[in-house]
Formats: sequence, structure tokens, C-alpha cells
Amino acid sequence: MSSPPTADPRAEMLQGARSLAEAPPPGEARGITSDLSVDEALLLHSAGWEPVDLVCGVAVVSVPVGVWNWGQGTISAATDAHNTAVESAARQLRGECTKVHGHGVVGVRVQVEVRPHHIDVELVGTAVQPVAGTDGGGTPFVSDLSARDFILLKGAGWMPVGLAFGACFVYAPRRSAGVAMKQKTQNVELTNFTEAMYTARESAMERMQRSALDAGGQGVVQVRVTEGPMSFARHAVGFTAWGTAVRLVADSHQFLRPELVLPLDDAVVTFEAQSLRGK
Amino acid sequence: MTQPQDLPKDAAHRLEELEHGLFTSDLSVNEFLLVKEAGFHPLGFVMGSSIYHIGLQTRKWGESQELTKLTEAMYTARELAMNRMEEEAQALGADGVVGVRLDVNYYEWGSDSAEFIAFGTAVKAEDGTSHLNALGKPFTSDLSGQDFWTLMQTGHVPQGLVMGTCVYHIAHRKFTQALGSVGQNVELPNFTQALYEARELAMTRMQDEAGLLKASGIVGVRLEEKSHQWGSHTIEFLALGTAVTKTTGTVTLPKPITIISLDN
Repeated sequence: MSSPPTADPRAEMLQGARSLAEAPPPGEARGITSDLSVDEALLLHSAGWEPVDLVCGVAVVSVPVGVWNWGQGTISAATDAHNTAVESAARQLRGECTKVHGHGVVGVRVQVEVRPHHIDVELVGTAVQPVAGTDGGGTPFVSDLSARDFILLKGAGWMPVGLAFGACFVYAPRRSAGVAMKQKTQNVELTNFTEAMYTARESAMERMQRSALDAGGQGVVQVRVTEGPMSFARHAVGFTAWGTAVRLVADSHQFLRPELVLPLDDAVVTFEAQSLRGK
Repeated sequence: MTQPQDLPKDAAHRLEELEHGLFTSDLSVNEFLLVKEAGFHPLGFVMGSSIYHIGLQTRKWGESQELTKLTEAMYTARELAMNRMEEEAQALGADGVVGVRLDVNYYEWGSDSAEFIAFGTAVKAEDGTSHLNALGKPFTSDLSGQDFWTLMQTGHVPQGLVMGTCVYHIAHRKFTQALGSVGQNVELPNFTQALYEARELAMTRMQDEAGLLKASGIVGVRLEEKSHQWGSHTIEFLALGTAVTKTTGTVTLPKPITIISLDN
């Protein structure tokens, strides 16, 4: 049996959280915390950027009881809760980033959990800034691109501007027992489900596009989607989509002129992007 | 803008927004830059889906046979999804769709219904040249951004994602047959033959599709074998690949630099 802890772990934790929440005294930098790998940190430095701190944003928004039950059309209460949660988590993340004087957050891990009574959103990433340390001004960007992708994108004249998010939940109308029976042996499209899926998908994608435009983006890269019926309410389908909104900041797209390389290692299946990193 | 025929109206609305300059894409940054490098610009993340009820077909216990009704279902549902994706791409004025993924998802709605879904990124040539395929439609391809760029370097252009499928029921062995081969090293010719035939059918159908596109070859062919929800003796053979044609005469490829990487 282990010996009892000497101090109250809860008090210790709270104190740690408090000291992290305070801005470090001027002229006295706090050590750098980041979840970047060594090569990512080196790569950032080689492009004139450095990690500052690990930042996070968390939001839990409640979903009213009963909204998943039987109904028609869009489940707006759940859709709204999702959007509120995402927005407030991203706002927190940007707030923390500003506090440590970061210019943006890269490598954001996005974790969204939809539960019957609440929606949790958790965003964790590394705040970065140019080494020169010029004051960023403006709102910091948030991006789920890795530090490597960030450098690659910057080299091509683009910058991430924010995380674009969209979600929608929709009821799928049931087939009547008679129809289900008749279709038992047939090859048929289940139009009720297809349509519900389409409605959810289209409004989620549209919301994602809108949030990209609002952030000043010209495009969204690395869009990821989750879709399907909710595990706790199978006649409700959900669709979420997110990606990083990007904007061309250079005068024109900078071509990277990749070279063909042939790795001689055993069983190399990955594409070698070495040459894309710039000379 | 051509009005899509088969799309729900929400889809048409979203596509209108995409025409105002914003692009969306599920390409990674690498792929995005390589597609740009190949002279294309992404237009939008396009998709098509169909939730489909697959019918029933009785199989004979001891007889190997193609289950045409199931084959037809797998074909029709995939075609529905692919066509809807192509329509979205056409509505955007795209030249093609890269990085196409075809998935089949089963949900709790019942074991014989499945969602067939096709995703991809619609792209357009930046120099304004048309890359529509022999059928006058945007090309589709399941090649990644990396493969797409490499293919274009060799003077080939993708024509379309081609597929062939065959749902086959493989006969069970009779008890006496099974008994006869106990303890022996023997080939089981009925199994071998059934698997061969099913595979051949799927491959031939894929090649026929490539023929319609007047393609000179198919690259990146994958052969998938899945039992889905039909039990162990009923298997779907799916052959998928990208049909390509050669555009220019001779291409001199730069000699690849050989490297030995030091990381693991």
C-alpha cells in the first residue's frame, strides 16, 4: 500500500492552475510548454517561429432534455448547443493565446463529444509566435494543422486564419411498418434516410463555410467529417465538419517545385515531402 | 451553372455559396500544394450518398453462383453515390474530382441497409483548359494529391474512377468431400474455381468501364473482398482503380534522387 500523499493534491492543482492563469511578471519569461515533437519545434525555428505555451479551450454546453426524442426536421436545440460550445472553446483558446503573446495556435487537437444531455468540446494546441517577437495585434489564428503543415503552408504564401466548424442534427423519418415489410426483399434506396443525411450534411457544411468566410478565409483545407446516427438516438442523424480556414497573404501562390526522390529504405510507403519544406 | 437533376435542394444552395470564391477541401496541406503544383485549384469538397436497402436472394447451399440481385444492389447504390458526387462537381464547373473515397457504412437501422458514400475534392485547371473525360464529364480519381501530381508528371491524365463488383456465393462442400480430404494435402478445386471466377467477373467489369472511357490503362487497382453482412460463404469482390490516358508523346522525367533517410 502506498503512503498517503503529504499535501492536498486538490490544493496543489488549484495553485498550479492559478499561477498558469496569471501572466508572468515582465522581463521574466516562464519556460516554454508545448506538445510539439522535436523536429516540429526545430522546423518552426528554422522558419523564424517558436512555440510559446500549451493552450486550451474547453466548453460544455447542456442540451435540453428530450430534444433527441421523436420529432421532425432539424434538431435546432442540439445544433445550436454544438455551435455555442465550439465558439466558446475557440474563444477561450484565442484568449489564452493572447495572454501568452502568441500569434496563433497550431496543432489543435479537436475533441467533440455529443452526449444525450450535453456537448463537450475540447481544443488543445500550442501557441506560436515569430522569433523576432513583434507584437501580433489582431486576433490570433487557431488551426488544427501540424507545425509542419503550418510551415509548408506559409512557404506557399498562405496563412491559417481560424478553425471553421459546422454541425447539424436531423431527425430521420421512420418508414411505416407496411412499407418496411414491402421493401424487405427489394433493392431500393431508403429515401427518408438519404434525405435526412443530406439535410444534416448540407447545413453543417454551409455553417462551416460561413464560419470560414467570417474568419476572412479564402478556403478550407483538411476538412474532416463525422456522420451517422447518434448512438443513443438512432433515428437522429448528425453530421459535423471542421477544417482550417486559410487565406493567401502573399501576392500570389508560391510554387514549391517538388523534386522526385526515391527512398532506398526498406518498405517505404509514405510520400517523401522533404523537398516541399523549402531550401 | 447547370442545374443538378438529382440533388436535394440543400445541396444546390451550398454549391451556390462555393461559387463565390471560397473553396473547401479534405486534402491535407501537402496534397493541396501538390494539386496547385499540378496546375489545378481546388473548388470544393463534394460528396454523394445513398442509403440503400439491399434485397434478398436465396442461395443454394451446395452451388457456387453469382448473386445477381446483390451485385446489382452494390452497383446501383455506388453508382447513385458517385453520380451525385459528380453532379456536385459539375455544378461547380469542375474539371475533375481527386482523392475520391468510396465507403460503405452499416448502421443500426437494419442489417440489410447500408449507406454508400463517395467523397472527394473537385478541382479545376488554372489555365482554363478543359480536362473533361471522353463522356464529357469531370474526371474522377481515387489517387491522392501526391499520386495525382506524380501521374501528371508522366504525361498521363486520369479519366475516371472505374469499378467492377461481383457478389458471389461459394458452395459449401459436401460432407463426404470434406471427409475425403481429412488429413491430406489437396487443393479444394471448387473453392479455388469459385474465387477465381468471382474475381475475374469483377476485374472484367472494371475493365469494361475503362473501355467506355477510352482509357489506355488503369492505375492503382485495388481488389477488396468483403463478406459485409451475408455470412462467410457470400463474398463481394470489388475492383477499383483509376483509368488513365496518355496525353503527350514522350515525357522526359527528371531522374529521381535516391535518398536513404536517417529517421526510422
